[in-house]
Amino acid sequence: MRLQQLSRAAHGDLRIDPRKAGSEAANNHLVPLSRIELRQAARCFPLFFVKDLETGQFYPAALLGLKANENLFWDGDAFVADYIPLNIRRLPFYIGGDDPAQGMICIDADSACIDPQGASRIVDEDGTDSAYIRGIQAMLAALSQNHEATSEFAREAARIGLLSEIKLDIVLDDGEAINVAGLYGIDDRTLERKFDEITSFEEKTLFMAMMLSLDHVSGLVRRKNARNEVLAAWRVPAAG
Amino acid sequence: MTKRIKSVCIVGGGAAGWLTAGLLAARRSVPDGSGLSVTLVESESIGIIGVGEGTWPTMRNTLKKIGISETDFMRRCNASFKQGAKFARWRTGAKDDFYYHPLVLPEGFPMVDLAPYWNAAALKQSGVPSFSDAVCFQEFLCENGLAPKMISSPEFGGIANYAYHLDAHLFAELVQEHCIEKLGVTHIIDDVVEVERGEDGDIAAIINQRTGRLEADLYVDCTGFASKLLGEALEVPFIDCSDVLFIDRALAVQVPYEDENSPVVSHTVSTGQRHGWIWDIGLKNRRGVGYVYSSSHAQGDDVEAELAAYVGPQFKHLSTREIKIRAGHRAQFWKGNCVAVGMSAGFLEPLEASALVMTELSADYLAAMLPATRSGMDVVAARYNEITQYRWDRVIEFLKLHYMLSERDDTQFWRDNRDPASIPGRLLDQLELWRYNSPSELDFSSSHEMFPAASYQYVLFGMGFKMDASMQAHALRDPVAAEQAFERNALLKRKWGSKLPTNRDLLTKLGQYEFQKI
Repeated sequence: MRLQQLSRAAHGDLRIDPRKAGSEAANNHLVPLSRIELRQAARCFPLFFVKDLETGQFYPAALLGLKANENLFWDGDAFVADYIPLNIRRLPFYIGGDDPAQGMICIDADSACIDPQGASRIVDEDGTDSAYIRGIQAMLAALSQNHEATSEFAREAARIGLLSEIKLDIVLDDGEAINVAGLYGIDDRTLERKFDEITSFEEKTLFMAMMLSLDHVSGLVRRKNARNEVLAAWRVPAAG
Repeated sequence: MTKRIKSVCIVGGGAAGWLTAGLLAARRSVPDGSGLSVTLVESESIGIIGVGEGTWPTMRNTLKKIGISETDFMRRCNASFKQGAKFARWRTGAKDDFYYHPLVLPEGFPMVDLAPYWNAAALKQSGVPSFSDAVCFQEFLCENGLAPKMISSPEFGGIANYAYHLDAHLFAELVQEHCIEKLGVTHIIDDVVEVERGEDGDIAAIINQRTGRLEADLYVDCTGFASKLLGEALEVPFIDCSDVLFIDRALAVQVPYEDENSPVVSHTVSTGQRHGWIWDIGLKNRRGVGYVYSSSHAQGDDVEAELAAYVGPQFKHLSTREIKIRAGHRAQFWKGNCVAVGMSAGFLEPLEASALVMTELSADYLAAMLPATRSGMDVVAARYNEITQYRWDRVIEFLKLHYMLSERDDTQFWRDNRDPASIPGRLLDQLELWRYNSPSELDFSSSHEMFPAASYQYVLFGMGFKMDASMQAHALRDPVAAEQAFERNALLKRKWGSKLPTNRDLLTKLGQYEFQKI
């Protein structure tokens, strides 16, 4: 990764292929979520809290794979899901600087999305910001504006004691045993016991959504089995 | 004698007093308030000793039971992580002479006992790593200044077993505040002027200077060396053990760090000196250093100069404090309705940090076993005395082991420590067995042991004890399992050596972030 501060002078002629943005996350098994997208994300992925290794603090994230560096939603060409998290859609752009609220927009100059044949431009013919880059700006702004609220949401979950460590212990169809650790989720018994300590209705719905989203683990297992089946297919002689 | 036990009065407000109050109040309270009532009477005029700056790993559980979060504790007490002890210049006295007593068991122990394999290799060839390094990855962490855990580890949990270094004054303050605000302990600041005895010999009440008479069903003596209740009022004699452990003085000094980024050593360093040894304990904000020595051996020798040489040029700007130590313990610890906890029960030099853990064990026992009525108390007291006596004996033996194995010949202090007349008989018996067999769990079969067999292995082989296993070939009958265990240990060093932060980095981070509960 090579982050550069985005500028008209340096990047005015750049063309981007937004479809390739997902490839940047092809090797991510976890993607951090913003509080504002938890409800949509909960429809597609199992959501957990995970610990930032640098600070030990929790943040919400969608689980995309069952192993480190595995993204079962990336099919080789596209990120296939009904909802694509903001932190994937905004790629290859980042917010630079220590404080996200004050941050400037940066681009990863090494990104695979930078493509002379790409459909999107940063600056339109008439010299104005393109609709594409305005969309990116809106996403980055939403992420940074809700950064603190997201951290606060995670702190609240930990403070109330809603989180339990969830160890995934899975045996795949081909017999492989998989253990996934380091995930903290909201289980129904804990949520029921602590429900009255959650003060706002909005938070109640978000915690409920996160609790229900755990059912999507079975979806991940299904994807993983399907992928393994495809990988194993070369050994099966073609019919006829 | 069927009088119900409803109240406990603790006299003395050092770490022992407040820890006892905290453990009793936390474990004996019930939601409707009908639990044990705990009162602590503390003198304003008597200070606390506060040299006990090292804990055992048990302190993690103690804090959990009392309900103090690890982050709060570490911030408030300038605490740091301790991963055992490094003993320097104990064996030969040479500059590069050292070994570790880590807090992590030898790899595979007790399923696989690596000691005979290591011993055989060390006898056969040179270049074999030290015992503690060969069987345990913690020495590697310590030598590299690494912490036993990460900021993402849950509170009280870690990668490597650990204890704490803490500021004893701040610790007593924190536990006090928690006891009063969260656990409902009644705090009385007053001086006890008289102890009133009943006809049955029990303590009927204590008389305080300002607040007058105070009655309780059980009195806990936490008055330190003075032992005002058990020793003075109930006249339980003191058993001196300076014939085994010669240390009777400490010269303590607080040494500042160069700056706030200076490394914080993540173990206690104990360095052998001419007439004793120097402790060196790294807190977050300063080091606590002290020379404990035998005044009768040091006669005429300049102990302060020895301490100054250890501390370095800054020593001349620092003020020292001399503390008298009387090695030994009371003949009984619980008499009638009075039990002594902490230094009032006994005290030994701070080698292996046994002071606070004895307090924790005693308070835990009280919290668990305090009977419903006075008639049960004599039964519990008899058991408590037996267990506590057993614990003191084991600690004394283990401390003596450090000295008696030394090859140092530079002073009479070290030579006298090898005099068989100064060595407890049971320890001599153990050593007779250990000449041919490594210490095993069966050597320590009580459920009230203080040090596990592994601790004896670390000290024994660290001090260069030669074991002759030639008649015990069965101890070497599974070389594959041993090889795998040695390999696992090497793997753990590589794995965690690159992942763990330095002790200082983690402490700095803890100023900003906290450990999660899970």
